[in-house]
Parts: sequence; structure tokens; C-alpha cells
Amino acid sequence: MPHDSSSLDKLLENPRLWRGRNPAQGMAGLASGYDRLDRHLPGGGWPQHALTEILTEHYGIGELRLLMPALATLSAEDTTADFAEPGWIAWVAPPFQPYPPALQQWGIDLSRMLIVRPKTDNEVLWSAEQALSSGTCAAVLLWPEQLDDQSSRRLQLAAEKGNSWAIAFRPLTARSEPSAAALRIELQANASGTCLSILKSRGGRPAVLHDII
Amino acid sequence: MAQQALALDTPPAAPRSPSTTAAAVRRLWFCAYLPNLSLEASGPSKEARVVVEEQHGIHRVLLTCPKASAAGIQPGQSANAALALLPTLHIEERSTLREQQAVEQLATWLEQFTSVVCIAGRDVLLLEIAGSLRLYGGLPSLRQQVAAGLEQQGFEASLAIAPTPLAATWLARAGRRACVRETANIASVLRGLPLACLDWPASICDSISGMGATSVGDCLRLPREGFARRFGSQRLLELDRALGRLPDPRASWRAPERFCADYEMTEEQSDREALLAICHELLLSLERFLLTRQLGTQRLRFIFFHLRAPATQVFLGGAEFERRAEHWSELLRIRFERVVLPEAVIAVRLQGGRNQAMQAASGRLAFHGRSSGQGRRYSMSQLAERLTARIGNQSVQSVTTVAEHRPQRAWRLQGVLGDTAVTTLSAIRRNLYRPLWMLPEPILLRLEQAYPLHQGRLTLLEGPERLETGWWDDDGIARDYYTAINPRGLRLWVFRNRSRATSWYLHGIFG
Repeated sequence: MPHDSSSLDKLLENPRLWRGRNPAQGMAGLASGYDRLDRHLPGGGWPQHALTEILTEHYGIGELRLLMPALATLSAEDTTADFAEPGWIAWVAPPFQPYPPALQQWGIDLSRMLIVRPKTDNEVLWSAEQALSSGTCAAVLLWPEQLDDQSSRRLQLAAEKGNSWAIAFRPLTARSEPSAAALRIELQANASGTCLSILKSRGGRPAVLHDII
Repeated sequence: MAQQALALDTPPAAPRSPSTTAAAVRRLWFCAYLPNLSLEASGPSKEARVVVEEQHGIHRVLLTCPKASAAGIQPGQSANAALALLPTLHIEERSTLREQQAVEQLATWLEQFTSVVCIAGRDVLLLEIAGSLRLYGGLPSLRQQVAAGLEQQGFEASLAIAPTPLAATWLARAGRRACVRETANIASVLRGLPLACLDWPASICDSISGMGATSVGDCLRLPREGFARRFGSQRLLELDRALGRLPDPRASWRAPERFCADYEMTEEQSDREALLAICHELLLSLERFLLTRQLGTQRLRFIFFHLRAPATQVFLGGAEFERRAEHWSELLRIRFERVVLPEAVIAVRLQGGRNQAMQAASGRLAFHGRSSGQGRRYSMSQLAERLTARIGNQSVQSVTTVAEHRPQRAWRLQGVLGDTAVTTLSAIRRNLYRPLWMLPEPILLRLEQAYPLHQGRLTLLEGPERLETGWWDDDGIARDYYTAINPRGLRLWVFRNRSRATSWYLHGIFG
């Protein structure tokens, strides 16, 4: 009796299926620009078309520096690999003003940057979801006040639908809350250096890295 | 000397007599006469109703609907007599303005069939259709499409086709479903028409019939010169034009370039879904309007009228010129969620903004866009439109750099919608290190033994970088910028004001 394993193969290819020993194949990550971090991320980089959470105590301890090389890659080339225009980068409810000269120094194309400042937290999530699912944004950075399990799932689905990368910045207190994010990273810093902990990584393993940025 | 009769088959040689060159270019005029316009202009109604007009101080019935005439109400009766016959009768005052709007609306709709649509008089529409016959599948098919469309919009029309506009008009007024294609046949068809269809002043009709002429054919038999002397050369000219002996140029009607349409409700409406459906109707007519002109628009204004409260206005803006009703409807739906209507709505008006020529879009080739099937659902500008529709125009922005050495002036915000300014190439040198986060205003830092504090004592890492002057716009600075780090690991961009040597400020964070 012939075995039809095509449906099983299809299931195994699904990035949402976590397999302990063998990291999922074909899930290429976006190089973060920090080799030591890339080695610990499945696919060798930031998980694309998924939600990444970055937990910090304060804004400004290096969370943007961590992302800048990858965002510059997205901004510079068309990672969608067809003739369509390169993706935009949307900033939803940033806590301060992103400073254009510095962004330009990092290699971000300012003409493809959108800053959205909604008035309420609901609108933050709505705007992020719209931007993610539109299919025009390569990355969407958002700073929500609250992000419950259901909202994170919605963002995750919107990122999958729109082939986009969602990055949510959250306080350390969110560490104990459940989340549908593909990757959760905690970033702590003191005068002597920074400490990056991978709390959750779909298809990867938790890790603690010191002074990578 | 025998006088020439009006309807000679060969053109007379007299100087007043016309030649046949008018028929050199073959034309075919389609006339739609709207006998019940006064009644139909106020929209469809299920109730028995009449339109009244004031004559010598008395309101007299002008037109009746079938239900009213079944109750015995006839044109010419006074309004009171009509009410006595049918107490539930709905009486409307005639409004010539409303009639004019209805005719113009129909003319706009008829523009899809031909580029030459004329409004002749208050209740006659003329279409030149010689060039449209092939496209619309021949005369019977075109006639049927026009008739069906008019009926669907609630207008009863009498249709006639003739090679000259006047002949078509007279035939339609007389209620003849005639179709004359040859100029030579006009005279024989017109012959049997009564004088009333000419729409000449009553005094002239009276004196013509007083001479024993009761039809158009009788008029045509009258001697030309005598006819012109008695009834004016204008009437003779009209007869010649109707027969196609003189050219009858018509100015074709052009709808105003800006769209404006109203929807009046029979009763107050506060249901949002119903209001959105009404707005969609208006948007569909906007789409037709723009499509026939190959135009698109970027801004729309909806005005919701209330009975007592002042009208509510809703503006919609797009990033690109657009005409699709679905597109605007979707934007309106998002925008409408935040609109507070003070009370129920009695009428909606839609006004279009500036128009711009817009070609109908061609479909993209298959290899464009994402091949995976999860293609881009909508473009960046559409995303920006959706965001601004919900959270406001000021909340969605893009940024650009400005060639300027003062940090607070080295960049600016710009709108996303409509603003097409490209990013200014900055003269920033690559080796200058700038923070990713900027504070809106520098914060004065407290001092501890002359050291600046921000969540602990700051340690200066790099600097100073001296940034100075701006005397040309009275916003001069004299600052020494340093990179500093605090005990919690925050890298900060601080400066010392050189005019007041002891004051330190926090200006940015190296995120």
C-alpha cells in the first residue's frame, strides 16, 4: 500500500509547528548583523513574517541599535525578490521622535518610512495590524501600552498574512504574560554592558548573551 | 404669381429659401420627452399625489399620478377640490429647480450613449446617435436601452427618432413612437401632427387654427412669405429646420466639472448602515460622472443635513486620484466610525474636489507582484489613506532630513498624503554619531557637584562636538555635545550650553 506523505510534509513545513530536535528547514531568518545573536536564532537571523517581542526596562538601552542593521537591509534591498517596490518601515506610537539623520546614517531609506502616532492604545494595535496585513510594510515597529495574548496572536497572523515583520517593544513586566510571538527577547543594561536573553524562540532554544551590542 | 408653398420638394430659389446642404452630414436625433417631469422629479412614491401650481392666486392641479386620477382628480382642478375627492392625497408644489436638476441628472446619465446630449426646453432631451448605433447594437437596441434606463430611474418618456432635432422633438411631444431615418421622409411624417406639439405660443396657435389649419401639414401648405409676415420669420425658420432644409446646430450639454449630488430622504434617518448605503449610491453616481470624463478626484466632502442642528461635514482625502466607489466607500466606512451625528439626517450631499485626468488602469502582467498568491493587497498610499481616515491626518507622517547643522533643525516631518517632496540629501558626514531617539525639547539636567544627573551620575564618553550659531534666523546656539552613559546603561546625548557654562541638557538617547 503506497504511503502518501505529502500532507505530513506540508504539515512539517509549517513554521508554527515546533519540533524539538531538528530545527525547521527552509525558515530563513533575516541576518541581524550581530553574528553571535544570529548563531542562536533559528534560521540564522530574525524570524520573518512573524512577531518579535523585545522587552526592556527603559527605552533607549540599545533596542533600536539591535534592530538597525536588519532594518537597513530591509530598507536597502527588495527582500521580496520580485519587481515590486521595496517594503516600507512603519513606526507605530514611538515613545520619542526617531531622529532622521541618525536613521540615515544607519542606512534607512527615509522616503520609505512612516510614523504613525495614534491617540489610543486600541488605535495603536489597529494601525499596526493594518500596516502588517497591507503587504506593503517590510517591518512594523510598535510600542503598545498593553498587548494581551489575543492581540499578539492577531499581530502574528497579520504579519504572516502580509509577509511582514512585526516588532513589539514591551516593558519587563510583560515577561510573565503569555504571547504568540515567534521570538521574545529581554534586553537589560547597566553601566558595564548589556545582557540579551532569548526567552522564547520558535524552533530555537533560550539563551543568554552578554555584550553583543 | 403663384406663391411658393412651404413644403416644396425641391428647394425654392428665393433668397430666404434654404438649401439642402444641411443634410450633407448624416445625423440622427433621438428625442426623449418627459411629459410627467413635474411629478417624477420629486422621486418615486407609492402614495396618491398631485403636483399643483399657483395660477391667479389659486393652487391648481398640474399633473396627477395614476392613483389620483383613478380617484377622479383631473388637471385644472383646485387643490381644495382634489383634497375633497381624496383626503389622503399628497400635494406637492411644483418646483422648477427640482425639475431642472432631474433633467440635468438624466442628461449626465445619457452621456454614456453619445457625446452630444442637449437639453432643449425644460422637459426635452436630445441625443445625436448617428455615431453610436454600431456600438449599441443598432437602433432598436439603443432605443430599448435608453427606454429601460429612463424607466428604471422613474421617468416616463415619449421617444422619437428623426434626422433633425425639431422633427424628433415634435414627434415625441405628439406621442408618436416614430422612427424616421431619411430627411426626405420628414415632411410626410410631420404632416399629421397637431399644432400643440410645436410648443408655440397659444396666441399664434389660435390664429393659425383660426385660419383653418389644424395640423403641421396644414401649416406646411401655407405660402412662405405670408406665413413669415403673419407669424414671424422665427416660426418659418423652425419649420425649415424641422424639415432639414436649414442647419440646426445645437450646443451639447456639459455637466459641471465638479461633482455635486444630493440625496433627500422621505423621512429622517439615523441608522448608520442605511446612511452608508445612501452614501454608496452617491459614490456610484460620482464614479459614473468621473468615468465618463476620464477623471479622478482626490478629495470628497459629504454633508449630512439635520432638521435643527447645523449640518455635519465629513471630508475624505486620498493619496492618489481615484474614482472607484468601492474605494471611497471603504474609506468612508472607516472614517464614519468616528463621526458623531448630533441628530437624525434628512439629506446627504456629496461634493467632489478638484479633478484630474485619469486613465482607466490596465491590469498588471502576471509576473508583477508576488507570485505566491499572497500579493500586495493594497499600495502604500492606500494604507496611508486608511490610517488617516481613522486616526487623523496629523497622526500619519513621514520624515526627511534637512541640510542643517543644528540638531533640532536637521529634520522635519512631512505629510504622507499628497506631499510628494523627496528626501533632501543630507550633508551629514558619516563619522558624526547621532542618537536614534530625539527628545522634543532638551531637558535641563540636575547637577550634583557639577556632574549632570539622569537616573544617576553621568559619565562622559565622547566629546565635545561643538555646534554653533544660527544668527541668520535668530535661533542661534552655542553648545558642546557629549555622549554620556548613566549607571543604568542608557547612552545619552547631552550638551553643555556655552553661554551658561554650568547648565547641562539631555537632547537624545542612543536607542
